[in-house]
Amino acid sequence: MTQEQTDLTIANPKMSARDVKVFYGPKQAIKGVSIDVDMDHVTAFIGPSGCGKSTFLRTLNRMNDTVASARVEGEITLDGENIYAPTMDVVQLRARVGMVFQKPNPFPKSIYENIAYGPRIHGLAAGKADMDVIVEKSLRRAGLWDEVKDRLNDSGTALSGGQQQRLCIGRAIAVEPEVILMDEPCSALDPIATAKIEELIHELRGRYGIVIVTHNMQQAARVSQRTAFFHLGELVEYGVTSDIFTNPRQERTKDYITGRYG
Amino acid sequence: MTAQRLPTDWKSDAMRKRIARRYGAERRFKLAGLAAVALSAAFLAFLLFTMMGNGLRGFTRTEIALTVDFPASPLLLDPNAITDEALANANLPMVTGEVAKKALGGDADALLSPTAWISIRDAIKADPKILSRTETIRVPASTAIDLAAKSKGSPEAEAEVARLKQQGVLSTGINWNFLTASDGTDPTQVGIWGAFKGSLLTMLVTLLLSFPVGVATALYLEEYAPKAWWTDIIEVSINNLAAVPSIIFGLLGLSIFLNFLHLPRSAALIGGMTLALMTMPVIVIAGRNAIKAVPPSIRDAALGIGASPVQVVFQHVLPLALPGILTGTIIGMARALGETAPLLMIGMRAFIATPPGGITDPATVLPVQIFLWSDEVSKGFVEKTSAAIIVLLVFLLAMNGLAIYLRNKFETRW
Repeated sequence: MTQEQTDLTIANPKMSARDVKVFYGPKQAIKGVSIDVDMDHVTAFIGPSGCGKSTFLRTLNRMNDTVASARVEGEITLDGENIYAPTMDVVQLRARVGMVFQKPNPFPKSIYENIAYGPRIHGLAAGKADMDVIVEKSLRRAGLWDEVKDRLNDSGTALSGGQQQRLCIGRAIAVEPEVILMDEPCSALDPIATAKIEELIHELRGRYGIVIVTHNMQQAARVSQRTAFFHLGELVEYGVTSDIFTNPRQERTKDYITGRYG
Repeated sequence: MTAQRLPTDWKSDAMRKRIARRYGAERRFKLAGLAAVALSAAFLAFLLFTMMGNGLRGFTRTEIALTVDFPASPLLLDPNAITDEALANANLPMVTGEVAKKALGGDADALLSPTAWISIRDAIKADPKILSRTETIRVPASTAIDLAAKSKGSPEAEAEVARLKQQGVLSTGINWNFLTASDGTDPTQVGIWGAFKGSLLTMLVTLLLSFPVGVATALYLEEYAPKAWWTDIIEVSINNLAAVPSIIFGLLGLSIFLNFLHLPRSAALIGGMTLALMTMPVIVIAGRNAIKAVPPSIRDAALGIGASPVQVVFQHVLPLALPGILTGTIIGMARALGETAPLLMIGMRAFIATPPGGITDPATVLPVQIFLWSDEVSKGFVEKTSAAIIVLLVFLLAMNGLAIYLRNKFETRW
């Protein structure tokens, strides 16, 4: 098999993982994954449950630090800087590499507060007026402004599931991240809400590097330009999305996308 | 050969019986629950009824209208120079006795409370002009008269009451003295204020010590402590501390705070410190449970936009856990408020006739005061004991009410 992945190697990738291994105690969850993430493309991680795609996603902004038994080997860089180096501040890293979770998890505070919280703790707003601007801009980018502009003081938890997830995206956008990681952002949403999120991902592409984990292969095909197929902790295949779905090079990829297992 | 299974007959007798049994079980369970509730309600009603019956009398007192002819009395006071010193030197108790003998006849000393002169002093202080005329002043009656007038006293006292009633000088007034005075030797002069203030100060010390320490411990154990053998030992120790009999904490306070640190004896400070030892484990346990109940997704959300662990704890976890922590704190404080045994060990059972001025002054607390009065021989203390219990219960109810208010205020609706 001739693997021509040269076309995917970028000169200056936004994020780059080299031979990353993740262990939970003695159990190895990720077995040497190397991948580049750039700003111009949405990257999708697909694979069956338990294949390690979410685990790998969480190593990209060190959310795995909260799991006491987790251990990461290898190198992950953000703008050429190793994010696991002792000099890297994890709080700043997570502001630069934002995250949207599987289940919408707005804070039990007002819509305004949900957006304003991040900019406030990072000192991004100079005064109330500036904060208002940030909140409006973030909500507009999240495609939620028109729906909530008259009730910014309502609780964020009173919104519908799809609105809550867009609020969470807006919350991540508000701190001006460079990369946004999305961990199955639509798995708890209905098809209409899902369509809205996918539309939003299209609009955000280019401004932010986006990595999305999804169970849904059609979704990966719709929203991404690059797709990585994970299986049993290995990165089986990484390529241009249309190639992966129409012309997979690996037998396992082919089996998975044709529904043979997963 | 396998037997052919017939389709289930949902209408068969066995089925019907099973259904009837199921309904019967449910009915019996409901009845048992109802009976339990009724029984506890009956006990509570009985308790409240007897307490109120006895205790409410403690808030009233029998008064005798004493007509004082000031110009004719042996009182030597200049109406234009009424000072506390002049009043103190005027020998009012003696004058009151003589005036009473003239006005009421009989053994006047046995009719009036030993504190009757205070009413006269206060009347003069309020309006010195009465010194030049005859004035009727209501003074508290003695314990014997008070008891005979309110319920049942000795035959002699009953006779005196009948005589006084005929003179039309007996009346019933609210015993403000009970709410403003402290412990005393005569039931007509005792009050609850000293013990109430002592309880207030003790609770304040307890709260200020146990709440921050308890919450900080709970936060550390839940959010920061590694899972290791020594955190397991701490956890087991705290759970055990919550179950230690309270008198042991009293002994601990005695040996450490008094004998080792030589802090002031009988003071609210020591009482508060001892009770804080007892309350803290309760707050830690309730706090840990409340913190555990905060959904992990909120932690993820905050961490995911770059909140530091301290920001996550203080801006997200703690506010969400606060209602639960407050509930635990109030349960602990309510228990501490009613606690008697450990305070006896550190000398808070002393006879203290002045309210404490601060946390280092000798003080007593409501439950100890109740315990002390219940031990008194004089019959007048019975109603005072019940009245003090009512004050304690009202204090408890107020505290619980505050807790419910705070919990609802901070509760987050999802």
